[in-house]
This record gives sequence, structure tokens and C-alpha cells, in this order.
Amino acid sequence: MAEKVLAPMVGKIVKILVKPGDKVEEDQEIMVMESMKLESSIFAPCSGVIKEIKVSEGDRVEEDDELAVIE
Amino acid sequence: MAKSWSELVQELETKKEQLRQGGGKALQEKEHSKGKLTARERIDLLCDPGTFEEYDLFAKHIGRDYGLDKKELPADGVITGFGKVNGRGCMLYVEDFTVVAGTFGERHGKKICKIIDMARKYGYPVVGINDSGGARVTEQMGALSQYGQLFYRHVQASGVVPQIALIMGPVAGGQAYSPALMDFIFMVEKTSSMFIAGPPLVEAVVYEKTDEQSLGGPKVHARITGVSDGTWGDDKECLDMTRKLLSYLPLNNKEKPPYVDPDDSPDRKTTELEEIIPTDQKRLYNMRKVVEVVFDRGTFFELKKEFATNLIIGFARLNGHVVGVVANNPVKYNGALDYNAADKGSRFIRFCNAFNIPLINLQDVPGFLIGTRSEHNAIIRHGAKMLYAYSEATVPKITCVIRKAYAGGYLAMCSKDLGADVVYALPTAEICLMGPQGAVNILFRKEIAAAENPDEVRAKREAEFMEKYVNPLYPAGLQHVDDIISPAELRMKLIKALEMTLDKVEKSPDRKHGITPV
Repeated sequence: MAEKVLAPMVGKIVKILVKPGDKVEEDQEIMVMESMKLESSIFAPCSGVIKEIKVSEGDRVEEDDELAVIE
Repeated sequence: MAKSWSELVQELETKKEQLRQGGGKALQEKEHSKGKLTARERIDLLCDPGTFEEYDLFAKHIGRDYGLDKKELPADGVITGFGKVNGRGCMLYVEDFTVVAGTFGERHGKKICKIIDMARKYGYPVVGINDSGGARVTEQMGALSQYGQLFYRHVQASGVVPQIALIMGPVAGGQAYSPALMDFIFMVEKTSSMFIAGPPLVEAVVYEKTDEQSLGGPKVHARITGVSDGTWGDDKECLDMTRKLLSYLPLNNKEKPPYVDPDDSPDRKTTELEEIIPTDQKRLYNMRKVVEVVFDRGTFFELKKEFATNLIIGFARLNGHVVGVVANNPVKYNGALDYNAADKGSRFIRFCNAFNIPLINLQDVPGFLIGTRSEHNAIIRHGAKMLYAYSEATVPKITCVIRKAYAGGYLAMCSKDLGADVVYALPTAEICLMGPQGAVNILFRKEIAAAENPDEVRAKREAEFMEKYVNPLYPAGLQHVDDIISPAELRMKLIKALEMTLDKVEKSPDRKHGITPV
């Protein structure tokens, strides 16, 4: 089953730490975003394989925008 | 021949016992099989043993049609009376689902209204246990009018005595507005739901297929709507937590909240905060851990835990005194205030003010949440509630800036200007109108654009700006901060400020009421 990773808030993706095909563990840091003057990590909601990354570094995102899909 | 006393007493007891059975054993067992307790079992768990005094057990329903005139509805489906909780008085009404699904008829409504009138008159909190299929349709205007009477009474009692609603079954239709007009709502996992129209009506009128839990179950009201203040695993836990909630509240608005001798020392150093709060401003931490360390051990009772998690609210004790805690939590939105957090916070602040509960405010707020979505969700209107609620509050207000306190967020979390009695700052506090990035962009735009190495110039200008303005010494120099303290001193200092201000007297202007932004 695929699980979507959603943006927790409005802001900018500053770092992407994984690529499609990578295996990830639940709660592993997969991206870093910057918003409201702070950097915050985005963690994998479940264990699995990164199927798709839907953003690039520097992209601005809205809350609940899809960032990646884990399968 | 006249009956003897013993015959009369025996008859009375038999009648009472029959009425106390409500809808009877079979229906009681049906409730048990759903995981629910019966109305009387709930009263036994909520009240101190032997303290419940029932009134209006003999109340009769008014139904005349559809054969109802021949039916007995014991106590008209709601048990009402006075009991003690933790040795303190409390007025209760408890709907009995075994009597025509706890439906709300005219007499049923009158019984509840009487309890609220008594609560106001004698100065006791109201606890209402809701478990009802909604209005009793056969009573039409009788039921409708009593809903109105009930809503009116909730409003008259608002801010006079605490009103707590427990949702321990369905609450459907107009009746859902009764809890909504009270101060706190607790729900029970799986067995409770609240909506103004249930699934069959929703399907018939707006053609949407849904079920009770996804329409208005405890998860919906805990996470999405913020209607609920707490979700508990079962009836027993819900009633235990109600006893706990009442232990923080005064009986009425003329009293102070109950003081208990603390198990914790007022001199305890809170050195753990050095581990919890990162000095690197870009690193996040969980404010809940700060709250747990600072207040008397084990006394923090959080409300609306799953809703607007960027703001923590709840009751705690500080050297035995009850306080209301309002704290930004950087784990969501980096602590920024959005419309839901402002709604949650301002309502809580107003409750605390109405019931003489001092406010302790822990700030780490980068501002109000900005952007199109936030603006379109009316952050201006909702954010204004925080400013309003703190400005209006005359209880002791003590603030500590933990890290960020930017712009409107700083004011909205109770700054000196909104009447804070004492404001502390940790050395990590960044109190400012605008952060260094934004300020430098405005002040040195031309210089940066013309520079050979713009990044270097920007960094230099930002560092210089930080040094000048973004540190606690600058606002302390201007008396916006009363003292700069170390994390280890936080608990001690909050206690000292609280105890200094406990008997604060401040009068509000003479007026009917202000126009609170809603």
C-alpha cells in the first residue's frame, strides 16, 4: 500500500535526503523544510521504499501538498 | 381502613425501585453489550459514595398521543440531582438511554433546566451526561421549546458556574448545541457521537452516505473540529477524568480555585530545561516536556490535546495553586498561531478569567501563521481573539519568553502591553518586531544588491541586527521584560511571581459586555 507524505505547513523544501528506490524506516528524516523562520525535518510516516518524490529542493509548498510517496 | 406506615413506606420503596430500573434489565444489558454503563452506574462512579440525592424521580412525561399516555417513562429518561465529587458539591443530570433512547421531551427538558437553575442559585458546577437519540418527536413544541429554555439557561449560567458536558452515547440534532454552550466537553471512544443531523437525515437531504463515527465521532471532534476537550477510552475513564477536571475548578465565579498542599518543592531547580530547549533556534523541541518539568510534578491536565497542537492548553498546579497554562508548541507550524490555535487559546483564556484562574504563558512563537491559506481562513478575525482575551483578562498573567516572540505573536501570547503582570525571558529569547532576515532585506536592500559578495554582506548585517535588537537585553532595557532568568530558575521565578499576584484586583470598565471577535 502506498502512503503519501504531506507537507506539514506552508514553506520551502530546502533539502531532500532520499531518492526514488531508497528504502526508508518509519520516522526516518527524508526532507528538510523551512517555514516561519525555522527549519524542520519531514519524517517518513511508515517504512517502505520511496516510490516517487514530487518536489525539488527550493520548491515552495502549501500545507498538505504531496511531497513523496512511500510504498 | 387507612394503610399503616409500614405499608405506605413499603409501597413507596417499591415504586421508587421500579422507577430506578429505568427501561428495565434487558435494555440495561443491551447498553452493557455496547460497552456503555447505565445512567445510575455512571452516577455511582462520578459521585463520592452515598452522596447522590435524586430529585424528580417521579416526574411524568407529557405525551398524550400515539398511545404514549398509557406508557410509563421512568424519570422521563433523565436522572437529576445533587452529588459530591472530591467532597465538593455538584449538580448533575444524566440521560438514561434505556428510557425511550434518552429522548428529550418537555418534562425531560424541564428537569435539566431546573438543575441548571439550582446550580446557579446555590453556586455549584453542572455536569451533564448526554446519551440521547435527540428530540422526542411526539412532543413537538414541548421538546423544541425546552431546547430553547435549556440553551438560554446555559448562557445565563455561563461564567457563573462551570458547566461540563460528557458525551457518553449519541447526541443528535439541536441537542448538540447544549454541550456546545457549556465550558468543557469530554467524549468516549467508539460509543459517543455528536452531530446536528445524523446519517439518515444527511443522506435524505444532502445525498451524502456516511456513518456516525465519521460524521461526528470522538476522533472528528478531537482532531478536526476542536469541539471536544478530551477523548477517553471508556465510561469509567471519562468519569475519573471528570472528577480530575473538577478538582482544578472553583465551584463558582465568586470562589478561587481549590488550593492543595503541593508534593513538589517551590525551590526545585529546572535544570532539565537546558537539555530540552535547544539554543540553536532552528532546532525544534516539544514544549510539552517544558510544561511537565516546570509545574508541580504530575499535575498538568491537558485539554484539546489533539486539536491545534501548535498551542498547548490545560490546567496545572504551581506550588499548589491552580493555574491555566497556555504554551506555544514548536512541533506544529513551528509554534506559529493559526486560526484554530487562536480559537482554542482564546476560549481557554476566557474560561480562566471568568473563574479566577491565573494564566501562565510560555512563549515560543514565530508569529501568526502567514500565507494565502491562513489569510483566507480569517487569521485576522481569529488572531484578534487572542489579543482580546488576554487584554480582557484581569486574573494574574505571567509570561515567560522561552525562545521566539515575534511581532503580533509576541503580543498575542500576553506581553506587558496586554497587561502581563510579570514577564520573564530566558537568555535564548528573541523578542522583536521583525526577524533579522526580513529586517535586513528592507534596511540594506541596495547595499546587498550592489555588493560584490552579497551573501557575506547580508550575513554581516544580520549578525549586527541580532546583536542590536534580537536578544532579551534590548526589551529588558525598555522594561518590556521584568527579568532575564536561567532555565534552572524558571519554576522558582514563576512561583514567586504567581504568589505575588494572587490577590491582584483589577476592574473592567462598566459595560454590558465587550464585542469579542468570534
